[in-house]
Amino acid sequence: MPVIPVAGSEKFANLPTTPEETRRIVGDSVRLHDVDRSVVDALDPLTYEVVRHRLTSITEEMGEALKRMSGSVVVTDCNDFDAAIMDEVGDVVQVGLYNTELAASLDMAANWTLRNRCARPGIAPGDMFLCNDPWVGGGLHQNDTSLFAPLFVDGELFCWTGAVAHQVDLGGVSPGSWSVGATDVFWESLPTPPVKIVEGGEIRQDIEDVWLRRSRVPKLVALDLRAKIGANNVAHERLRALCDKYGADVVKAVMRRTMDDAEQRLRAKLREIPDGSWSSVAHQDSARSGDRGIYRIVLTLTKTDDRLVFDFTGTDPQVDGLINCTFAGLRGGIMPVLLTMVCGDIPWACGGIYRCIEIISEPGTINNCTFPAGIGKASVASGWATTNVATECLAGMLDTHPEHRKRLMSVCCGTWDFALLAGVDQRGGGFVTMLCDSMAGGLGARSDSDGVDTGGLACIPMGRVADVEMNEFAFPMLYLWRREEPDSGGPGRFRGGVGASSCFIPYDSPLGGVHLVVSAPGKALPLAGGLSGGLPAGTQHDVLVRNTDVHARFAAGRIPASLDELAGTTDLVPTHHETDLGAADVYYTHWQGGGGYGDPLRRDPAAVAADVAAHKVSPAGAGDVYGVVVDDRGAVDEDATTTRRAALRRSRAGLGAEEVPA
Amino acid sequence: MTVHIDENLVQDDAGAVNCRHCDAALGVAQQPLRDARVRESDPRTAGPSVRADSGHFADRPVVLRQTFCPGCLTLLQSEIVPGDEPSGRTRSVVAR
Repeated sequence: MPVIPVAGSEKFANLPTTPEETRRIVGDSVRLHDVDRSVVDALDPLTYEVVRHRLTSITEEMGEALKRMSGSVVVTDCNDFDAAIMDEVGDVVQVGLYNTELAASLDMAANWTLRNRCARPGIAPGDMFLCNDPWVGGGLHQNDTSLFAPLFVDGELFCWTGAVAHQVDLGGVSPGSWSVGATDVFWESLPTPPVKIVEGGEIRQDIEDVWLRRSRVPKLVALDLRAKIGANNVAHERLRALCDKYGADVVKAVMRRTMDDAEQRLRAKLREIPDGSWSSVAHQDSARSGDRGIYRIVLTLTKTDDRLVFDFTGTDPQVDGLINCTFAGLRGGIMPVLLTMVCGDIPWACGGIYRCIEIISEPGTINNCTFPAGIGKASVASGWATTNVATECLAGMLDTHPEHRKRLMSVCCGTWDFALLAGVDQRGGGFVTMLCDSMAGGLGARSDSDGVDTGGLACIPMGRVADVEMNEFAFPMLYLWRREEPDSGGPGRFRGGVGASSCFIPYDSPLGGVHLVVSAPGKALPLAGGLSGGLPAGTQHDVLVRNTDVHARFAAGRIPASLDELAGTTDLVPTHHETDLGAADVYYTHWQGGGGYGDPLRRDPAAVAADVAAHKVSPAGAGDVYGVVVDDRGAVDEDATTTRRAALRRSRAGLGAEEVPA
Repeated sequence: MTVHIDENLVQDDAGAVNCRHCDAALGVAQQPLRDARVRESDPRTAGPSVRADSGHFADRPVVLRQTFCPGCLTLLQSEIVPGDEPSGRTRSVVAR
């Protein structure tokens, strides 16, 4: 059934609003704290730095609180969450170092709440609002549930704090809310616009019941809700103490200056860089199960003086599937790249950074979709693809400057390798979990060094991969291996960081097997592009081997170390897939590395030999892509390498041995 | 002012773009790779990192499209993309 526009949904098609307009709409409904410009100007540098760093540490404490209270491995071990402090209208003063994609549009959600909830039901001390409606903001897909809380000081709304985390299941057709057959949002988890779930410091039981009723794991989601309440409570305690010590006006002045500082320092950096424009394209294969299409996001980045324009004209229309993202997802694709690649030495005050950029995007496209397009995979589909084009364009811009080019990085990992397990665990309870092994993606190569192998994801600076033992303890699964994969890093003068693979079986479930949902693009074409001639990273590669002899091999005291050692029926797994795994079925999932930088024939042969010794590059890859011949002792055969590189330089360009370049 | 566009390209103050390795003329500011050599081949020639044939997963043709300096054959741009759409990767530094 085609997606049909829904009358009334326009109320939730949120766009950023200026502080002035917000104040006009709120009127007398809520007293908003403000501070005179003179207080900002009068701040002494020492106080500014002390309070600013305190704000930063509060976001870290919020993260710690979340981790200590959550029961979800996705949160406790993988850090798939974030936290932020916002000013009274929602502009982000400080974002945490966790999943910056998730927090990039917390401002939109808090601001929408202010404008739309200020009169009824009202906003008062002790209230907290829950949101998982990506058209409003606060996250990229429904699983990214945010909880934001107004902090009142002396009767005025002083600021907001917000915590957002991936919830492992919020309903929908498929476990994990990852409905791989979805053609629109009605297959997926119900988007919930901001609702007051905590009132006067108490959870509203009626609202919580509505919230939890949709989930396959309501107790886990309830625990995550309390973890986010705890994170906000910790932040409020610390902020109140800060206001008591320095005065609310001074703390607010620091917030203002932090955003101003971020804006001014980014503008100053941009002025040092030549003006120009850079275009890129990011593809995604398959919009839903059974679909064999390839979809694209196009970005032209124009840098003029101290301003950046992100123009997505040419991007494909939204599609019947789960890969679309809303405008909040598009912002979530841009901001992490700005933070990590351009603003590493600038306060992560998104409220100031957003002032330096303009976004041009047509509603109804795959990274600015309209209701009721499917968005269940938005975070790692069109949101992530937006990150990829933003990475390539911003890296190209930085490459023109002799100093700033040291900060650039090729695309990391390309996407998220989604594998979800559900069923009955070894303790007899129902479970759903997203396997977060691909948190160990390969980072992109830089202009002066290789990408970090299994270094993580650039958009989640503090992302982690759960220990194999933790996954085996928490879920009915047993690993055959988790290891880095040779050749998965994009070849280049500087190599992209390698990705890795995991191979496991269902284990110890009373049902014998588990349910598996796969949503992993990058199989028809790699998604982590290279720069300056560097090649893309490897493709995503998932294999399911049915009815193996793995248990017989265990009984014989052997753990298979490759799929070739297993008997059984081997199938390549399509991009989107849902199936059951039996007790003797082996699932292998291999995620992507980072893109390369520069011509691989210009890589130091000794570095290639070291890569071969470390199993980062196979001997075949060394010879065929880098033109490096390594002898039996692992040393570079200099003469053979010179000959090989000369031949490869011509053959890869389509030239015969004697042909003269055109 | 001379600008190094990237690892391989340099642009002079008149907007001419040359190879940084062999000085071959490659294009102009608006089209830095205008005169470069472009070759398309099977994605699996990119090396063992391309694990499976694209035809398993998609109906559109997928190609490895590479752009080379016509002088020294240095690789200037690499992409694995649908073969039925033109390259969407460009750069243009304002000459000043």
